[in-house]
Amino acid sequence: MNTIDKFLTNSCKSDPGKLALIDDNSKFTFLELEEKVQKFSSFLNQFQEKSVISLLFENTSEFVISYLATINSGCIAHLIPTGISESNLQNQISSAQPTLVLSSDSYFSKIKNLELENSMKVKFSEVKEISSEKKIPSSNDYAYLIYTSGTTSTPKGVPITHSSCDFSTKNIARTLHYSKNDIDLLPLQLSHSFGLGCLHTSLYVGSTLVLQKNPNATDILNSIKKYNVTTLAAIPSTLSNITSNVSDDSLAPLSNLRLIITNSTFFPPATIRKLKNILNTGIVATYYGLTEASRSTFMLFDDEKKIESVGKPSECIEIKIHNESDDENIGEVWIRGPNVIDNYWEKEYSHNKSDDWLKTGDLGRFDDDGFLYILGRVDDLINISGEKVYPQEIERIVKVLSEIDEVVAIPMKHNSFGEVVKLLVKKSINSKISSTDILTHCIKNMERFKVPAKIEFVEDFPRTDYGKIKRFMLK
Amino acid sequence: MNLNDDVKKIFFETFPLLTESDFSWEKTQNNYDDWDSFAQLNLITLTEAKFEINFSDDEITSINSPKTLLDMIKSKI
Repeated sequence: MNTIDKFLTNSCKSDPGKLALIDDNSKFTFLELEEKVQKFSSFLNQFQEKSVISLLFENTSEFVISYLATINSGCIAHLIPTGISESNLQNQISSAQPTLVLSSDSYFSKIKNLELENSMKVKFSEVKEISSEKKIPSSNDYAYLIYTSGTTSTPKGVPITHSSCDFSTKNIARTLHYSKNDIDLLPLQLSHSFGLGCLHTSLYVGSTLVLQKNPNATDILNSIKKYNVTTLAAIPSTLSNITSNVSDDSLAPLSNLRLIITNSTFFPPATIRKLKNILNTGIVATYYGLTEASRSTFMLFDDEKKIESVGKPSECIEIKIHNESDDENIGEVWIRGPNVIDNYWEKEYSHNKSDDWLKTGDLGRFDDDGFLYILGRVDDLINISGEKVYPQEIERIVKVLSEIDEVVAIPMKHNSFGEVVKLLVKKSINSKISSTDILTHCIKNMERFKVPAKIEFVEDFPRTDYGKIKRFMLK
Repeated sequence: MNLNDDVKKIFFETFPLLTESDFSWEKTQNNYDDWDSFAQLNLITLTEAKFEINFSDDEITSINSPKTLLDMIKSKI
């Protein structure tokens, strides 16, 4: 079983002169990166093993160096998204109790005024090499700590061990056939488990990773062309943005990719079809996973009939549908396997585990061929006179209408039916769509009980630091 | 389009299978095939959205024909 620091060390041993990392301003071979990490580790080795070191960095080589050096020094890397709000940052710091808070120079102002007890705040440029004793992490130690985005509740700390990360990295590399010949483009936050998993995989297989900071569709297409990129990992909205807003002629750089991987429980079929049409021989894939249970399934979109599935459970991972309702096939998704966390950082959240099973809070079902479908969240179900309605089903039907940017269906109390559907709609710019237009469309395309009883237009939705809508705040 | 046409249109949108010959202003809820409690909810929601008005629970209960709906709208606009 590897510890994460070995990913870089092993790739460096096998191909030291190969390009490992490219960002907006710099390039590093594996040897150069290893040397930078070792120097940085010498500074961090002064802290006791298993200390928490909080890292606030954008997608740059500085993130990679600080992260790997933290791991290398036997400490736990607490990864903070750069878009974090002040209050959430203070909450995370209070919970994680770091010994050191380290940031890029440009983000130092964000941590400068943090209230910290017994810990230091340091800029990347202030770190100096010092003489220190080398540390060796073990596979059962925590490697990093990420707080959940808080889409469904208050953020929870999720600590990941080296062994769990090693399992997930090998799972990604094996399933998606990553190799040292790949050049991987990453327009994703490294502080999120999707982006971090891609970093681990590149280091593990010895491929070249191209990091991007807040790129637009053109930046992504230009980088694919410039670096002869072979794989692209991006969230669905980035991919939809590329396919919708870029002319077909300009999409040519995508055609030679061997893999486009995304991370959604619902990836619009129209986007999947368009991407498949553009790719010459490459594949489009998604996965289902949580920070607490990384990459539990993979879906390689090669069967039109399964286009709404998130795929089959990965090797050595068990998934079951826990059912307490009348509908036999639908229930809460429970996951067990080496990718599942032992515990949350805060002990009060232990009720999310039952024996070794992680209770995800997601609603799902398997089809007869063993493919998993995610239908929504257990807490989001709308109960209309005993009929269970999945908000995502309503939202998918409404999203078909043009002139609508985003839509959220939530329950609304009703005297006769217990609950009915209330629809919150964010219109596109210059949209003239009315409640009547939406209702008429719903009546045509839904069973009667699912038709919203109220429609409200909103400017925007409350969001997490990762930009996801906080549904629980809308109810 | 006058008010009568607007209300009639709401009925045809709420009951997509309704034909001209089946529609009557006087016919009550029991005489329409699929005018159940959920259809009533759809009808009221669509009317409220179209005319930007609100009905109380008692008013909703009293709407049992195209004519009663028309009269109720007239009293509010």
